Amino acid sequence: MSSRRSRQSSAGVSRISDDQIIELVSKLRQLLPEIRDRRSDKVSASKVLQETCNYIRSLHREVDDLSERLSQLLATIDADSAEAAIIRSLIM
Amino acid sequence: MNHCIPDFEMEDHSSIPSISRLNRFKKPSMPEDEIMELLWQNGQVVVQSQNQRSLKKLPPIKFHDADQPGSKEIRSSSSHHQQQQQQQQSVTDHLFMQEDETASWLHYPLSDANFDKDFCADLLYPSSSTAVAPCATSTAPPPSLGRVPQLLVLASATAMAPAPRPPIPPTKRKGLESTRILNFVNFSKHRTARAEQSGPSNSKSVVARELTVVDSCDTPAMDPESGASQAMPSCTEEASGGDNNNTCANMSGAIAANTQSAGASLGASKDNLATCEVMVTSSPGASSASAEPTAQKPVQAEDRKRKGREPDDAECHSEDAEFESADKKKQSRGSTSTKRSRAAEVHNLSERRRRDRINEKMRALQELIPRCNKSDKASMLDEAIEYLKSLQLQVQMMSMGCGLVPMMFPGVKQYMPAMGMGIGMGMVMDMGINRPMMPFPNVLAGSGLPTAPSAAHLDPRFPMPAFHMSPQVPAPDPSRLQPNNQSDAMLNPLGMQNPNQARIPNFADPYQQYIGLHQMQLQPPQCRAMAQPGSSKPSTGKGHENVENHPSGWSIIF
Repeated sequence: MSSRRSRQSSAGVSRISDDQIIELVSKLRQLLPEIRDRRSDKVSASKVLQETCNYIRSLHREVDDLSERLSQLLATIDADSAEAAIIRSLIM
Repeated sequence: MNHCIPDFEMEDHSSIPSISRLNRFKKPSMPEDEIMELLWQNGQVVVQSQNQRSLKKLPPIKFHDADQPGSKEIRSSSSHHQQQQQQQQSVTDHLFMQEDETASWLHYPLSDANFDKDFCADLLYPSSSTAVAPCATSTAPPPSLGRVPQLLVLASATAMAPAPRPPIPPTKRKGLESTRILNFVNFSKHRTARAEQSGPSNSKSVVARELTVVDSCDTPAMDPESGASQAMPSCTEEASGGDNNNTCANMSGAIAANTQSAGASLGASKDNLATCEVMVTSSPGASSASAEPTAQKPVQAEDRKRKGREPDDAECHSEDAEFESADKKKQSRGSTSTKRSRAAEVHNLSERRRRDRINEKMRALQELIPRCNKSDKASMLDEAIEYLKSLQLQVQMMSMGCGLVPMMFPGVKQYMPAMGMGIGMGMVMDMGINRPMMPFPNVLAGSGLPTAPSAAHLDPRFPMPAFHMSPQVPAPDPSRLQPNNQSDAMLNPLGMQNPNQARIPNFADPYQQYIGLHQMQLQPPQCRAMAQPGSSKPSTGKGHENVENHPSGWSIIF
C-alpha cells in the first residue's frame, strides 16, 4: 500500500483501482479480528490478504466443526421437531 | 542497497582490505582467539566457545569491539575453519580463504555487532534456515545487538543443535569462491547499506522486513507449516529485508528449490521471495515433519546452501552485476544520477516482489472463495469481504443453533418452533449484530425475500431472547426482556404465522444470507414501535396484523 499512488507515471486506470484496492483491503482489515486491534497503519496489503486467507480457513473449520456438532445434536432430538428442522437448515 | 565496497570501506577505518576487515568484524572481541558462538539457549543469548563449548552469557555489547588485531583472529578463525571443515584449501590463497570465511559468514545469521562467522555458522547451520542465514548475514551488522535475538530465534526456530563450524564443503567452496566474492559484494553492499542507514532506518527496515517476512512465511500453501513458520518470521525478517530481497530471495529460492522436494517447495516455482518463504517455512516444516534427519540437516542445509548458492550466485550475479555496474558507474562519475537509477532499480525490484507476493495471496484467496469467477482485484476483494462476512454470520448462526437445541423450553410445544427460531434469531441479532441489527432477519429469510422493512418484524422477536437464553446469552436489551408469559404470548402469533411456509431458511448458504443482508435495512425505531402493539396482542393467528404488516423473512420463517 505504499507507492502505488505515488507512481504518477503509471496508467491512470491502475491508480484508480489501486485506491479501490486500498479501500477494500482496509475493509478487510476491519473484518479481521487480529489486525483490527493492532495499529492499522503499518499493515501491508500482503499481510491483510494472508490474514484473510487464514481467517477464512479457520472459519471453514469452525463451520465444519459446528456442522458436526449440530448433526450430532440432530440425532439426539426428535427428527420431526422444529428444532430438528432448524438444525438441518443450519447444517445445510 | 547501493553500497558497494566503497561504502563498506568507508566504515572500516583501517587499511586492511575489506574482506579481511569483514573478517575482523566477524571476530568476537573475546580475549581468547577461539571462536565464540552466539547461541540462543533457554531464551537467553549465551556465548559459547566453539572449542570448549563453554557457555557464557553474552553481554549485549560485548561483540562490539571486534576491532581486535584482525590478522591473528583471522588466522585462528581460518584455522578453526580448517579443523571443522576439514579442508581449508584456501590457506594458499589468503584472499580466497578469507573470502570463504566471508562466504561462510554469508550464511551466518545477522549479527549486528559481530560478524563472527563461527557463532553465526553454528547458529545457522544447525538450523535448516540456512537460506535465511545468507540473507540475514547479508544484512550488514547494525551496531546494535538487538538483532542477535533474531538470529537466535532463527536458531531456536529450527531447533537445531549448534553445529560445528559451517561446513562449507571445500570442494564446493572452490567452485563457489568466485561467486562468493560476488555474494560477498552483495553482503558488503547490504551490510554497508544497512550500516549506513541509521538506527531508525534499521528498525524501520527490520519492521518492514518483519512485515514482509510474515507474509512470506505464511504462504497460503504452507498452511500446515504455518505454525512452524511462525517461528520463522524473525528469520525471514532478515531475509526479506528490503535491500536483501534480491540476494536472499535468490539464494533462498535456489536453496528451496534444491532442498525441499516436498510440497513445500512449490514456492520454488515462484519468484525468489516466494521461494525464500517456502524454503524458510519448509525447513521448519520439514524439520518438524521429520525429526530424524536432524543430524543430517546441518549437512543437508549446508549442501543445500551450497547448491543453492550456485544457482543463487548465478542469479545474484545478475543482480550483483547490476549493483556493481551501478556502483562502478557511480564511482566513475560520482554523480547522483546513477545512484538514483540504482535506487530506482532496487525499488522496482522490491516493488515487483511485493506485487508478486500480493498477487500470490490474491490467488490463494480466490481459491478459498467459492463461486468466485472475478478476475480483477477489486471485485475479488469485494467478494472476499462479503464472503467473510457471511462466513462469520454463518458461524454465529450455527453456534447459536448448537446452543439452541438443548434449550428446549418445556411445555411450550406449539411455540417451540417459533420460539426456537425467534429465540435463535433474536439472540443472534442481539449478540452478533451490535452495530447493524439488520442483517439478521433478512438472513433468516434467506431465500432472498426482499425486505426493506424487515426491521419491522424484528422487534416482535426481540423479547424472545429473554426467555430462553437468559442463561446462555446476556440479555441483549433489558427493555426487550419480557416476562415469560408475555414472551409466550408473543410467540403465539409468531408460531402461528406461517407454518406452511418454509420456515427454516437455509442459513448455511452464505451467499443467500448475503443477499438478505444486502437487502436488509434495519429500522430499530420502527421495530420498537412495532413491538409494542405486537406484545400487547398475544392473540394468535396468521392474520396477526403486526406481523403480517411486516413483510419480512421473519414472517416467512415462522
